[in-house]
Amino acid sequence: MPDGRPGAAVLLVEDDVATRREVAAFLRGHGFRVDETGDGATAWERWTAGRPDLVVLDLGLPDIDGSVLIRRLRRDATTPILVLSARDREGDKVAALESGADDYVTKPFGAAELLARVRALLRRAAGPAAAPDGEVLVGALRMDVARHEVTVAGQPVRLTPREFEVFKVLLGSAGRLVTHGRLLRAVWGTAYSDEAHYLHVYVSQIRRKIAAVDPSGDLAGLIAAEPGVGYRVRLPDPDRS
Amino acid sequence: MERLRSTSVRHVAAAVAVMVIALAVTTLAVGALEGTLHIPDASATYLLAVVSIAVAFGTSAAVATAIGSFLLYDFLFVSPTGALIVANAEELLNLLLLLAIGVVVGQLAGMQRARAETALLRERQARTQYRVGRELVTATNARSALPALVEILRSEVDATRAWVGLGPDVEQERVEADSGPAGPPTVAASYELLQRRPGDEAMGWVRVHDPRRTTAGLHDPRDPCFRIPITAGAGPLGSIWVVRRRSAGPLGRGHTRVLAAAADQIGQALERDRLAAEATGAEIARRSEAAKSALLDSVSHDLRTPLASIRAAAGSLMDPNLVLDGDARRDRAASIDSEAERLNRLVTNLLDMSRIEAGDIHARLEVFPVEDLVRATVERMAGQLDGRTVALSMPPDLPPVAVDAIFIDQVLTNLLENAMRHAPPDVPIRVVGAVTSGRTVRLSVEDGGPGVPAAMLDRVFDKFYRLPEARERSRRGSGLGLAVVRGFVEAMGGRVTARASTLGGLAVDVELQVAPEAGTA
Repeated sequence: MPDGRPGAAVLLVEDDVATRREVAAFLRGHGFRVDETGDGATAWERWTAGRPDLVVLDLGLPDIDGSVLIRRLRRDATTPILVLSARDREGDKVAALESGADDYVTKPFGAAELLARVRALLRRAAGPAAAPDGEVLVGALRMDVARHEVTVAGQPVRLTPREFEVFKVLLGSAGRLVTHGRLLRAVWGTAYSDEAHYLHVYVSQIRRKIAAVDPSGDLAGLIAAEPGVGYRVRLPDPDRS
Repeated sequence: MERLRSTSVRHVAAAVAVMVIALAVTTLAVGALEGTLHIPDASATYLLAVVSIAVAFGTSAAVATAIGSFLLYDFLFVSPTGALIVANAEELLNLLLLLAIGVVVGQLAGMQRARAETALLRERQARTQYRVGRELVTATNARSALPALVEILRSEVDATRAWVGLGPDVEQERVEADSGPAGPPTVAASYELLQRRPGDEAMGWVRVHDPRRTTAGLHDPRDPCFRIPITAGAGPLGSIWVVRRRSAGPLGRGHTRVLAAAADQIGQALERDRLAAEATGAEIARRSEAAKSALLDSVSHDLRTPLASIRAAAGSLMDPNLVLDGDARRDRAASIDSEAERLNRLVTNLLDMSRIEAGDIHARLEVFPVEDLVRATVERMAGQLDGRTVALSMPPDLPPVAVDAIFIDQVLTNLLENAMRHAPPDVPIRVVGAVTSGRTVRLSVEDGGPGVPAAMLDRVFDKFYRLPEARERSRRGSGLGLAVVRGFVEAMGGRVTARASTLGGLAVDVELQVAPEAGTA
C-alpha cells in the first residue's frame, strides 16, 4: 500500500492531456482517488456530482478563466484549491489566491513539491489548526489564542500585540499561502492593503523571536515567504519526521 | 490714426496741399457771393472747407483750416480789407463766431473720423485673427497651415515679405513657410524684435544688431525687418519675420497686435500638435509592449507545459515511495520521450522562425522527386500519427522539384502536424500532388477537421496566429508551425496559400519550383 491518506478524492482540472495524465498517475500512485477533466464545464459537473476533498486546477482552461471557476467553487465550500499554472507573474498568483485559491505551484513543478502542497492542504482542512480561537499546535510550537501566548517547548515567545495578530492569522491558515493583501486587511484593516513592507518587518521579528527559543532549529523554516505574493506557514510533514 | 502715423510725412504734405486748395476755392466762392450777389456776410461758407478737411484729414487739419479761414476772411473781406484789422464790432463778432464754430465743427468731424478709423482697424484685426485661427484649425497640423498664414500676414501688415522660421533660437531656425520668391530669406544684420510674453498686451520693439548676419540682396538692406517670437509652454519655437518697405514707416500698434496674436495662435497650434504626437507615440509604445508581453506569455506557456509533464513523469519514476510495475514505468518513460519531442519541435520552430525573421536562411536547392520527399517525412513521423493514416495521391508524371532538403522536410512535418492536430482519427490526412499551369508543382495537405473560416484563411500563416475558436489546448499549436512553413517555402522561391478542403477541414497548397531540367533529369 502506498503512503499517504488512501482514498482522499482529488479533482484534477488540467487541459493539457500529457500533464494531466502524468499528474493523475503520480497522485494515484500515492493513493489518491483522482477524477480528471480538461475543461471548466465538466469540472463544475464533477464538483456538484461528488464533492472532492481537494481541487487541483490549471488557471488557463479552454472555456473559463480559472479565477472565475475558483470564485464559483468558493461560494459552495471551503474545499482546498491548489492552482497549477504556467503564468509566473506575481500578479497572476495574487489574483488566483485572492479569488479563493489556497496555494499555487508554477509549471514546471517538481512532483515532490506538488505532493507536499497537496498533503499540507488536506492536513490543514482536517486538522486542529483550522480553529482560530482555540489552541494551535505546530510541532513544538503552541499558540494559546485566548491568552495571547506563544510558547516553544514550554518557553515563552514574547510577541508584541501586532506581531501576535500577524502570527495568529498565518497559523490560522497554516499550510495555505496567505497573500500580503489578505494579511494586511486582517490585521490593519483595508486602508493598509498595499503596504506590504510593514509585513516584512513584523514577520522577521516573529522569526527572530522564535529562533531565540528554538536552539534545535526545527522551526527555522516555519514561516516561508513567496516574494511578491505572501507568506505560508509550513506544517511539518508527519510522513517525513 | 493708423495711417496718419505710419505714413506721416507724405500725409502732412497732402493735408497741407488739400487745405490750401480748399481755402483758395472757398475764398473765390466767398468773393463771388459777396461781390456779385451782394450777400453781406458769406463767411459761413468757410465751414464747408473746415468740415471737409476734418473728415478727410482729422482734427488738427480742421483746426488749422478754421484758423486759416478766419485770417483769410478778415484779411480779404472785412473792412478795412488788406489788413488784419476789424473796425466794426458786429463784424468782429461774426469773425470770432466763424473761428469758434470752425474749430468746434472741425474737432467733432475729426473725432468722428478717428472713431470710424479705429472701428475699421479693430474689425480688420479681428478678421485677420479669425482667418489665422481658421487656417490653423482646418489644417491637419500647424505646419501645413503656415504657407497660407504667411500670405495673410504679409498682406495684412503691408509687408513685402513674411516668413515663419521654426527652431529653438534664431541661429537654428529653419524656414517653414515663406511668402517671398524662391530662395531662402535672409535677415538683415539688424532687425526689430518684438519684446513680450505670449498673450501679454504690453509690448515694444527693440532694435537688435547681429553683425554675423548680412543681407544677401533679397530685399533692400535699408528696408526694416521685424521679428515676432513664437513661444509656447515648452519655450521658444520659432519666429514670424516681416519685411516692409522703408517708406512704409514703422509698424503701428494695430499691425503689431495682429502679428503678436498670430504668433500666439501659431505657438498654441504647434504645442497642440506636439502633445498629440507625444500621446500617439506613447499609445504605440504601450500597444507594442502589450503585444510583446502577450507573445512572451504564449511562448513561455508553450515551453513550460511539456516541461511540467516531463517533471511529473520523472517525479513518479524517482519517487522511492512509489512502486511502479513494468507497464507503468514504460508509460512514464514514453511520456517523457514524447513530451521531450514536443518541446524539441517547439524549440526548432522558434529557432527557425527567428532565423527567417533575421533573413538568415539560404536555400540550397537540389533536385528531388516529389513523392520521395513526402514518403520520407511521412515515414519518419509514423510514430506520431496515433493511428491516423496519410493518403498519398501523386500522379506518376509529376516532374521533380528544386528544393532545400532540410527546409522541405520541416515544411512537410509542420503541415502534417497541423493536420493531425485537427483531423479526427477516422478521416485520413490527404497529400495531393499536381502540376500547375506555371512551372510549379502544387503539393496540398488536407485534413477533415473543423477547418478555418474563410475570413481567417489569410491569417493562418501569421506568426503566433491561432484561431480564436481553437482555444482548447490539446488542439492548439504554438502558432509557429505555419509561419515557418511560409518562411521556408518563400525562401525556396515557392508560394503557400490556404483554402477550404473538400474533406471539410483546411487545405494548405504549397507551390514548388519545377527543377530546370525536368524530364531529362
